[in-house]
Amino acid sequence: MAVEEISRPRRAGRARPALWYQSWRVYLAVFVALLAYAYGWRVTQIHLGELWRGAYLIRPFIAALASPDVVAREQQLQRGTAYFYYGGERPAAAPGGGPRLTLSRVTGAIGDRVTAAGEGFAPNRRGVLWWENQVGQRQQLGSFTTDAQGRFSLAFTAPEVQGTHNMVIAEVLIGEGPLRPSQTLLVVLDRMVETVFLALMGTTMGVVFAVPLSFLGAKNLTASLPAGGVVYGVTRTFFNLMRSIEALVLAIIFTVWVGLGPFAGVLALGVHSIASLGKLYSEAIESIDAGPIEAVTATGASALQVVRYAVVPQIVPQFIAFTIYRWDINVRFSTVIGFVGGGGIGFVLQQYINLLQWRQAATALWMIALVVAALDYTSAVVRERII
Amino acid sequence: MYGGGTRALSDVSFEVARGEFLIIIGLSGSGKSTLLRCINRLIEPTSGRVVVAGHDVTAASPRQLREIRRKIGMIFQQFNLVRRASVLTNVLTGRLGYLPPAWALANYFPAALVDRAMANLERVGIPEKAFVRGDALSGGQQQRVGIARALMQEPELILADEPVASLDPATSHSVLRYVEELNKRDGITVLCCLHFLSLARRYGTRILALKAGQIVFDGHPNDINDARFAEIYGEDAIEVEIR
Repeated sequence: MAVEEISRPRRAGRARPALWYQSWRVYLAVFVALLAYAYGWRVTQIHLGELWRGAYLIRPFIAALASPDVVAREQQLQRGTAYFYYGGERPAAAPGGGPRLTLSRVTGAIGDRVTAAGEGFAPNRRGVLWWENQVGQRQQLGSFTTDAQGRFSLAFTAPEVQGTHNMVIAEVLIGEGPLRPSQTLLVVLDRMVETVFLALMGTTMGVVFAVPLSFLGAKNLTASLPAGGVVYGVTRTFFNLMRSIEALVLAIIFTVWVGLGPFAGVLALGVHSIASLGKLYSEAIESIDAGPIEAVTATGASALQVVRYAVVPQIVPQFIAFTIYRWDINVRFSTVIGFVGGGGIGFVLQQYINLLQWRQAATALWMIALVVAALDYTSAVVRERII
Repeated sequence: MYGGGTRALSDVSFEVARGEFLIIIGLSGSGKSTLLRCINRLIEPTSGRVVVAGHDVTAASPRQLREIRRKIGMIFQQFNLVRRASVLTNVLTGRLGYLPPAWALANYFPAALVDRAMANLERVGIPEKAFVRGDALSGGQQQRVGIARALMQEPELILADEPVASLDPATSHSVLRYVEELNKRDGITVLCCLHFLSLARRYGTRILALKAGQIVFDGHPNDINDARFAEIYGEDAIEVEIR
């Protein structure tokens, strides 16, 4: 009986709510959403086909990610050289010593067939014959293998190059040194250290200025000051304005001001951190328990003593947590601040990408990923300990 | 006396003799806490005059006000300890009014003061808790730290804002006995807000009743009979006794 009484009102009177597909509002909303997305699709020029058509362009980069330029072996080479001049001028004899390389002719024109003969090289080794033009640019003419007496012979066509004074070089690989860090790795490491310290200095600058400012931006503390409302308003407005300008924009401004390099990056991160940390700190101060402030004030303590003994002990853990969090963000951010000339690893990464040096770019990317992930993890552990 | 749209207190005028244990009772919102806070100007009265030991509190400059506050200890319903600081530091903060502000930056207290803080902790029976964090103590212990903190001021007057409202009956008595001892032995005047009439009768030498910001009773504890009680707390109230 009771059950029936509960279920009765539904059956009896009240109009049943319309089902969703019976409401014209639903159709209007769907129509508006479709319009918005159709326009969005067009205006952002989404062409999914490009993903497929352009795949060959990015393939070398994907491949490079699997083989970043991290280690190298020092190669020990045997080298023989000979000159070849375009035009009538006869070149001087090549520097002597070591293996000898002789050419069937030493002057000529583009397209001439020339035979290179070498002797005195290490026997049964693979080697490469290079053409080096007047400004030292090399191109490969062919490869060869020396015979049991250390001789070889290779015919080539004189290539089309600028300048007249050219050199032919034969190089035979006779051994490899131990593995060692590659030049790229050293450069990337150097820049990564710069990046981490850029973040450190930027964060420090933020903390140094944000801590005192945050007291002025806390409503509960400024309320008792003369003109406290004005101080509070000005501080908070400054925080909000500075926060709304991205650090990348600040970096561009500071590179104009103090020149390219990490100092501009430090200033950009620092100013942005002042605003962000200041706001977080202020809110932490506003959320503290007012009781101890009242108690310490009632003992006749001065404002400084009240802040030191009633405010500071309450905010220290939150301040530390916010600072570590900011340092986290700054490390990540300092990896891209180099794109606009603010120093750090972003600078070399951009260079590698622009020069299509994919393996070097991959090295930089892996370095960023590893260091940022490691710092992320450490700061998470530290933050957990503190709070 | 107190502005901002609502008048918390009006036409409240009374004198307290040195050495009295004055208990202020009244419903929640009747103005008890406001009255206490007007005495050391934690709340600025909009009009009227407060005079403590010959000093006009309401007319005092910030510096004079701090000097007057040094002589007025205060204990709170929520104890108001700094939770993350040690008990000893909490007790020492009671003495801040006498110390140069710059010492605060180095967190420096003279050794003699530390000894006195320890002595005061011993007096309230918890010397072994000196180096424990404030929030590690029970409610009753925290309130005793609050009393030790007020003692550091060597006060002439103690304002107690519902000191036992957050405590159980047994602890309430033990805390109030410490306050009573300060009143009887050290001759410190006490102004104390209480909820329970039974506690008021047991500890007070005089009772002041507030209703809607006005004094409705001022007299000896034993003079509050049922009619008076109904007048203070409303017709429907029933007296709850705490032993």
